[in-house]
Amino acid sequence: MARKDTQNALRRRGVSDLVIEKLLSKYSTIGDVSAASVEELINAGLTSEEAADVFAKVGKTTTKRETKKSSAKKQQEAPAEKIHYNLVDKSRAHTELEEKLLTMLEENDMNLPMRVVTNIASRIEGISIPEEKILDVLKKSYSRYLDHQMDANESAGILAAQSIGEPGTQMTMRTFHYAGVAEINVTLGLPRLIEIVDARRVPSTPMMEVHIEPAYMGDVDIVRKVASKIEKTTLLDIADIETDIANMKVVVHLDPVKLEQKDITIQQIQEKLSKDRRLRGLVAVEDGQIVISSDEPSFKKLQAIVQASRDAVIQGLDGIERAILRKQGNEYVIYTAGSNLRDVLNEDKVDKTRTTTNSIQEIYDVLGVEAARNSIINEASKTLEEQGLSVDIRHIMLVADLMTNDGDVKAIGRHGISGRKSSVLARAAFEITATHLLHAALTGEVDYLDGVAENIIVGQPVTLGTGAVNLIYSPKRPKEAQE
Amino acid sequence: MMRGVSKRIGSIKFSILSPEEIRKMSATKVITADTYDDDGFPIDMGLMDPHLGVIEPGLRCKTCGNKVDECPGHFGHIDLAMPVIHVGLVKEIKKLLQSTCKSCGRLLMTQEEAAEKTKQMEMVEELGGDAIDYRILAKDLAKDASKNAVCPHCGEIQGKITLDKPTTFREDGHKLTPKEVRERLERIPDDDLLPLGIDPASCRPEWMVLTALAVPPVTVRPSITLESGDRSEDDLTHKLVDVLRINQRLRENRDAGAPQLIVEDLWELLQYHVTTYYDNQTSGIPPARHRSGRPLKTLVQRLKGKEGRFRSNLSGKRVNFSARTVISPDPALSINEVGVPYSAARELTVPVRVTRANIEVLKEMVKRGNNPPLENGKYVPGVNYVIRSDGRRMKVTERNAETIAEGLELEYIIERHLMDKDVVLFNRQPSLHRMSMMAHTVRVMPWKTFRFNLCVCPPYNADFDGDEMNLHVLQSDEARAEALILMRVQEHILSPRFGGPIIGAIHDHITGSFLLTHKNPRFDEEDTINILSKVKFDEIPEPNFDENGNKYWTGYQMFSLILPEDFRITFKSSICRHCQTCLKENCDMDAYVKIRNGQHLCGTIDENAIGAFKGKILNKIAHDYGSTEAKDFLNNITKLAIGAIMARGFTTGIDDEDIPIEATRQIEEMLADSVTKVSELVEAYREGILEQLPGRSLDETLEVEVMKLLGRARDEAGQIAGRHLGMENPAVIMARSGARASMLNLSQMAGCIGQQAVRGERLSRGYWNRTLPHFKKGDLGAEAKGFVQNSYKSGLTPTEFFFHSMGGREGLVDTAVRTSRSGYMQRRLINALEDLKLKQDGTVRNTADMVIQLKYGEDGVDPTRSASGEALDIDDILTEVLGDEAEIILRIEEKKQTGYATMEQDLMEAVVEDDLEMEEPEYDLGGGGED
Repeated sequence: MARKDTQNALRRRGVSDLVIEKLLSKYSTIGDVSAASVEELINAGLTSEEAADVFAKVGKTTTKRETKKSSAKKQQEAPAEKIHYNLVDKSRAHTELEEKLLTMLEENDMNLPMRVVTNIASRIEGISIPEEKILDVLKKSYSRYLDHQMDANESAGILAAQSIGEPGTQMTMRTFHYAGVAEINVTLGLPRLIEIVDARRVPSTPMMEVHIEPAYMGDVDIVRKVASKIEKTTLLDIADIETDIANMKVVVHLDPVKLEQKDITIQQIQEKLSKDRRLRGLVAVEDGQIVISSDEPSFKKLQAIVQASRDAVIQGLDGIERAILRKQGNEYVIYTAGSNLRDVLNEDKVDKTRTTTNSIQEIYDVLGVEAARNSIINEASKTLEEQGLSVDIRHIMLVADLMTNDGDVKAIGRHGISGRKSSVLARAAFEITATHLLHAALTGEVDYLDGVAENIIVGQPVTLGTGAVNLIYSPKRPKEAQE
Repeated sequence: MMRGVSKRIGSIKFSILSPEEIRKMSATKVITADTYDDDGFPIDMGLMDPHLGVIEPGLRCKTCGNKVDECPGHFGHIDLAMPVIHVGLVKEIKKLLQSTCKSCGRLLMTQEEAAEKTKQMEMVEELGGDAIDYRILAKDLAKDASKNAVCPHCGEIQGKITLDKPTTFREDGHKLTPKEVRERLERIPDDDLLPLGIDPASCRPEWMVLTALAVPPVTVRPSITLESGDRSEDDLTHKLVDVLRINQRLRENRDAGAPQLIVEDLWELLQYHVTTYYDNQTSGIPPARHRSGRPLKTLVQRLKGKEGRFRSNLSGKRVNFSARTVISPDPALSINEVGVPYSAARELTVPVRVTRANIEVLKEMVKRGNNPPLENGKYVPGVNYVIRSDGRRMKVTERNAETIAEGLELEYIIERHLMDKDVVLFNRQPSLHRMSMMAHTVRVMPWKTFRFNLCVCPPYNADFDGDEMNLHVLQSDEARAEALILMRVQEHILSPRFGGPIIGAIHDHITGSFLLTHKNPRFDEEDTINILSKVKFDEIPEPNFDENGNKYWTGYQMFSLILPEDFRITFKSSICRHCQTCLKENCDMDAYVKIRNGQHLCGTIDENAIGAFKGKILNKIAHDYGSTEAKDFLNNITKLAIGAIMARGFTTGIDDEDIPIEATRQIEEMLADSVTKVSELVEAYREGILEQLPGRSLDETLEVEVMKLLGRARDEAGQIAGRHLGMENPAVIMARSGARASMLNLSQMAGCIGQQAVRGERLSRGYWNRTLPHFKKGDLGAEAKGFVQNSYKSGLTPTEFFFHSMGGREGLVDTAVRTSRSGYMQRRLINALEDLKLKQDGTVRNTADMVIQLKYGEDGVDPTRSASGEALDIDDILTEVLGDEAEIILRIEEKKQTGYATMEQDLMEAVVEDDLEMEEPEYDLGGGGED
């Protein structure tokens, strides 16, 4: 918990400001304060009365803590059966050379990002270079790395916002066909970027890239089977439906070629159709055709049957409108219009590690917030890159980290990040001014003026960059100056 | 003069004014609805009471005794005859009424339940929840409480409270008067308010029902005197007059014992006026209007929106010491400089304090007056104002200049004109990134425009078709120091967006350096001296050739002069054709650039070397040698390139796209052939023998096939034309070197413009089943759906012209829509991210001290200093350590894959050429059309 929140929390419990100051120098969260005994509080620099007072006001929560602990104990007693997930480790083991470089770095008390080490290793792999030269390279790299570090108090956020916002003016607005997969429409350019930043629930053009496990990925037939299994197929896609008014029945002429392609049998169709509430008990197979006869002599009913059978989903997953195969290198990849990550991952032979969707919310729901964060980074940089705009990945990372900071995906805007700023003035200056001000008055909110917008509003230097530091000039005493 | 901030505002607490407080802070009670008497003097206890502050110069405030600008204004108050509800808080009042008991005022919840909920809230607090989380919990609690139909404390059965928008409360259908509402709110004990999310110290609920209305000072609502002498009152004053009038009538009627009905009507009217006084856009009631019919701008309207107080007056302010005029280029200036016209320089001033050291100089300056003539054709600064130690400003004129100069004393401040070397901020809107506002040093010049080096166009995104820019003069030493260190142009050569140069050569600079270096031409002595005359370098080298006593220097030699001594780089020029096997030094295009020890050995210097965004040499100098070196390099390359282009001469015209008749015929034949092929496809489609593409309908298949065919036809036309446009052609030089335009543009001028498209499809809309009445209905052929066979040079047929303008319109609409959409996105991004900063410990945190990133960008590397995104340039380090031409390096180079990140325009071109449709030419609307 942030210092400010602790401060507020203590204040709300009736602890005086002076005491809060003292407490904050020692404890950072209210939990710590409440866990402390009176003696500890006295040690923290409080007078005994103050300590007793604080303990009475805040310390009470210790009882609550105990209950928490006891419930935790109960859990320990009866440990839930552990579910074994096969965690997929995408990171590969370090190569020998990398190990060597890493130990060299450690020995010399240096530290480089893994990516740099990998890069160096890949460059000098298999070339004999004397040890001291390598050390020189590492030393030089390390000193350069330190030179390239960002300065403290840099306004990293504004930098990121500008770097992503500025190229927005140069982007296109149209929906394009995905490079290579001409059949699937994909939103790209500015609309897509806005969509990502908005953290929309469903993207305007959901799309998946389904990979097949390496063992099968080269086999067209297997991949095609998987594709046809996930693709939503209605009866109309594989058959002609004919209404026989004279006999009050609906005859389904199945297309054997398409059945073959999609790997569906008549029995399966019959089964699926029978499951439909409106068709239950009416479906029969008559010499290679499916016949649905109406049980009551009404044309209305017949009409309903036709409608129901037309829309009946024979195969496939919800939301996957279309699946298309594409050869990429030595593997076949399925591209789908529509997205349903949870169900696709449950399919056999689907490679769980490489299959993705462009729906960030879905990734969040299925795989969690870290995956969503990665997805935001990937999708945003893909969108920018596709438009031929180079934006440093660090900027995109910062935006993604901010959006996913408190465990779920928050939008950039008044419903997300901006609406939850700690400063009243900053919120009021953004949107819905009056509401924010009135609410602040009700709850007696305090604006501590440590953001940018609020300081500009009151006419003070902002707390970033040169505004974050103070220069104090202490003139030499006359005596010293003379010397 | 106070400079800097000696004290900071620590925090601001928000709360609601209680009636007592309103009365206590009130300077006067307002009772009369009239403002001024017949003599034009404000009426006492009226809305313009002199106790409320002064707006007329010369008068003194009756409360504080200060004059205009010194008196901050004072609040007054109106005692409302009957209480009314505050519109902004109705929702809150409803919540309170619903969740508390009607008789005892306690929260409709047992003590234990409430304690449980408060505990939950404490938990949220403990876990670092923000105000919003807290508010949500309070709302939930209120909802839970309101479900209890019987008070657990006193057993009273609760009525159902409903809200008739905007301000009428009903209990089981019966109207609750504000008075009753207030009484109920009064009964709620403080202890029950906290769980409801209300702080009793800053807001007692009964204060939400107003009994006294604060009257803002006159300075907040000044009246304006029109030319005719009539006074025009502010909207707020009008509204307060309404309130007062009705308040008066209500009081009279009530005291006279008028019938209940009349009193209630007046009460409601008072409620309406108070409501609109706060918010004149309350839904459910008609907005109060001015006599002219314009809705009044009342309190909420003053604060809200883009033109509201917050965004327009508090977050941004109008400034003095600024200037705006048209911009124009000047290659003679350094990238750090800006040319300021005399007229602007004489208006803009810099304050200088008189000290013992400068008093003589300043006296001279003051003597010159406020508009000194040129001295020996040179600009000299004068002085506009002298500020005495007591704060009095004296305007310097030609007449009093002498006397003021004589009277100049220490500690006076003079406001002198702008002069060379002054530091100013220079800005072009839209200010999309920090490079949109940079610090330049002034060069005062004749004529009327701001001028700057062309290399600085890309960061401002400026051109000279009528663009205007703003200039701000810094007023304090602190500001100047900060601007020089942080905002100077040279400090922004590298963009933090992608770590490459954003300031760099464009257009003619690139053409010039191409002409200077392509295939290493020779220049005679005269040309050489001319070119080098403006360049900063140590010594003219020995001429490379000496023929019959005529000395000749080469382009490489000249370019080497401006490189750092130990400079080393290898890369491919933008004219490179990407052959299968690179011939390197022996490239017949001279596209392999190799520089060793600051000596240019081979290769053409073009966009890939010095251009903005792509310039590799520029990038390396800025990264490795620092901003000053990079600035010098850019200044030198400007002069070198302009010198070279002037020595060689360069021009382009429509005849650059001349191709032999033979070629024209060839193109025509090819296009005719393609058009026939299209009709064949259409025929096949009609007969139903067109083979359907997988996943596509028949119609779509036809469109795809036709687009493909016609796209190929345009490319082929371009190729045929291109064969006759060699490297000696100026237009081709510009396109290939990256100076301006692309080969696609050329092929559209010389060969064929190609298919026009709207929304990525062939044109189809207009008339019923056809684009224009010139075609048959249902015609799907090439001509009928927007294929333009002609070139820009040969001219378009009327139908082609129409189709072309359809495509052009889409481009314009797209641009217009895009700017507003991306503008809003950027505003939201900035607002969400503005508070994030890198702390001393390397974490990125927001203002609540929450950690957003444990290490900035996972490696802490500044994107500006990164090697195009990578933490460091490993190849560079390897060559440095392992020696330059070592065998190992060669092997590493071989191993290296397509290492570098693809740069901006590389990809742009790829996208354009992959696309089936044609790229629209830029529509240059000329002067003023750019904004």
